[in-house]
Amino acid sequence: MSSNNRSHKAELVIERLGKKLNRQIVGSLAACVHCGMCTDSCHYVLANPDDPTYAPAYKADKIRKVFKKHYDWTGKVLPDWVGAKSLYTDEELEELRDIVFGKCTNCRRCSINCPMGVDFATFNRMTRGLLVNVGIMPEGVAVVSKDQWEIGNQMGVLKEDYIDTVEWMSDELVDEVNDPKAAIPIDKEDAKVVYSINPREVKYDPRTIADAAKIFYAAGEDWTMPSEGWDMTNFGLFSGDDDLGGAVGRRLYEKVEQLDGKKLVISECGHGYRSTRCEAQNWGQTDVNFKMESSVETMLDYIKEGRIKVDKAKNDSSYTYHDSCNFARSCGMTEEPRELLNLVVDDFREMYPNRGENYCCTGGGGAMSMSEYTPQRLKSAKVKADQLAATGAKFVVTSCHNCVDGLSDLIKHYKLDMEVTQLVNLVADALIIEEKVPVVEEVAPVEVPAEAVEEAPAEVLNGYSFLVTDDEPDMVVFLSTVLEDNGATVFKAHNGDEAMDIARKEKIDLMTLDIHMPGKSGREVFEEFRNDDDLKDVPICIITGRPELRSLIYDRPVPPPEGYMDKPVSEDDLIKNMKKILKVRS
Amino acid sequence: MSDTLNINNSVVDLVKGDYTDMEIESIVYYAQNDLKLGSGFGNAISMRGGPSIQDELNKFGEAETTDVVVTAGGELKTRHILHAVGPKFQEEYLSDKLKKTIHNCLKKAEEKGIKTIAFPPMGCGFYGVALEVSADIMFKTFEEYLSGDTSIEKIVICLNDNREFIPFHERLNKNS
Repeated sequence: MSSNNRSHKAELVIERLGKKLNRQIVGSLAACVHCGMCTDSCHYVLANPDDPTYAPAYKADKIRKVFKKHYDWTGKVLPDWVGAKSLYTDEELEELRDIVFGKCTNCRRCSINCPMGVDFATFNRMTRGLLVNVGIMPEGVAVVSKDQWEIGNQMGVLKEDYIDTVEWMSDELVDEVNDPKAAIPIDKEDAKVVYSINPREVKYDPRTIADAAKIFYAAGEDWTMPSEGWDMTNFGLFSGDDDLGGAVGRRLYEKVEQLDGKKLVISECGHGYRSTRCEAQNWGQTDVNFKMESSVETMLDYIKEGRIKVDKAKNDSSYTYHDSCNFARSCGMTEEPRELLNLVVDDFREMYPNRGENYCCTGGGGAMSMSEYTPQRLKSAKVKADQLAATGAKFVVTSCHNCVDGLSDLIKHYKLDMEVTQLVNLVADALIIEEKVPVVEEVAPVEVPAEAVEEAPAEVLNGYSFLVTDDEPDMVVFLSTVLEDNGATVFKAHNGDEAMDIARKEKIDLMTLDIHMPGKSGREVFEEFRNDDDLKDVPICIITGRPELRSLIYDRPVPPPEGYMDKPVSEDDLIKNMKKILKVRS
Repeated sequence: MSDTLNINNSVVDLVKGDYTDMEIESIVYYAQNDLKLGSGFGNAISMRGGPSIQDELNKFGEAETTDVVVTAGGELKTRHILHAVGPKFQEEYLSDKLKKTIHNCLKKAEEKGIKTIAFPPMGCGFYGVALEVSADIMFKTFEEYLSGDTSIEKIVICLNDNREFIPFHERLNKNS
């Protein structure tokens, strides 16, 4: 405690607040007239109509009172009149943390609906930054921030794992199109396009990398992926830490400059696009000498310029489009994705309200990292669920990886009959690629022994033993059938105890594991495996319908799982992931 | 401008790269009081080094700020890890605590007969110590320690990128 009875951290927060005040923030802190217009625009309020603590103006007042007390003349002259109050204890800071991180996704819907121009999201983010600076933040925010500061990406993907995944996708694409020129170039200098991605693509959704590569290949693009500085996401935007935001942006920009790339293309990610394209140059106090654009613009240009051909009949379901808050509301990217979507699907159904007025998926550019707020986040997703259901579409398309997770989570929670996909997947699926016929040199015919012309076995998992652990009988049947159809031997466990019994008796090459199971949970099984001398080296792939529980696995003090998949799981994705973990090449 | 500073019979080098993947006798990990490796470099150490490192740490329980505990490097390319519990998030008396933590790393290394140590920029990034502050305290502590009688031969400061490298490089050349 300092001499004025204020904790050291509270003192630092108040002092730093003064350094963060600029015209935009002061205007927002001073201008609120408590008219209530923001209230109707907030998805938290809509889900909690009887709880005034969710109202943006109420939340704003928790920050505004400190500004009034210390930095505004009205608070000095008439403190009681304007509600000026200081902060004194760490407990008050923790209470503030639960408001700025737990009761707002910084979606900015209230900001654009405020007649006074109060940008609540901007000073909510600033407050997050003040708290992070003194170490007061949700555990998930700390984990992700530290990963991005030190490893260089917000999911802690190590360089060897990134390279391995890109090479794996590259090999698959070369095989698929039967052309070695389709290989993904890494660290190619002087390329016209440097492609940056979200670490989620490496860890949970490598198909998006392969799909993007396929599109670049079809367009005949001169492109590359960097071996380092490849993460275009920026947790500084979410956590409010401008220093992190600047460091991450500069790492990415420096790599493009080092490679002498002409254009940085940012894969589909709302907060990634906003931070890389619009914010990080300010945070990092730097300029860039190359063009930056979203992959949505790149793909659209390819079609318009005739560089790729697509057949929309290949995407024959019904589709709606979810505007990411960062991509649409904050960056104005509303028409390009719709134009592209209409070029690759027949049945597009608009969602209402849309564009800048769209509701947040509740992923909030990082909100899913904070499992302690999951119940209130999912409750607030009700309005989004209603929006989705009203379209009657089978697929919701979004240009944001955070939204993919946020939407998947709420679709499961509200039991909607819908799947999430991205434009890169739809464009890749609609591509028309003429198969390359290998040039065969004329050579004298050679007699080939009969056994040499036998086709390679289609059963790519032949000889491998799997343990499938899941409490849902349908899931056990599905996973087992797919694995057995691909030649594997499968042992089935319907709970954690059964899994441990089987694992101790049989030789297992890989276990798939559900997290949420009655009795012994997936987390306990996972930790027991890792701490057992005989089982610790068995590769484990988590397959869960509760993505918000992933921290239960990844935060354990044992090596992380070798693979991770969200339900629902497709046959192709399952086999791709199993092959990757077992390092099986087809 | 040099990347190397000679102090008495020892040398301090600046390099760019990931120090958890470096082939070197020992590395310093900026640890938390509960000695859990956690995320960031801790995640890299767990992933590349295996579970034996955390197992060994668990035997120490918790540690006070400025303490340093030593474990083996598991499957890393280093033989020893100095887990240094440095100050965090603008806590009180930060400079003094940071200096003492770095000093304790050197002392502990010497006790263990370690001659070569790789340091990250101590306290920078997630824990909020400014690069210039960290560089100044690190070099001052190295200068004081290495000017005396010591068996430490080489210190490497490993920096992730130019943003980190430049302030350390400037500080090093201010001295030479």
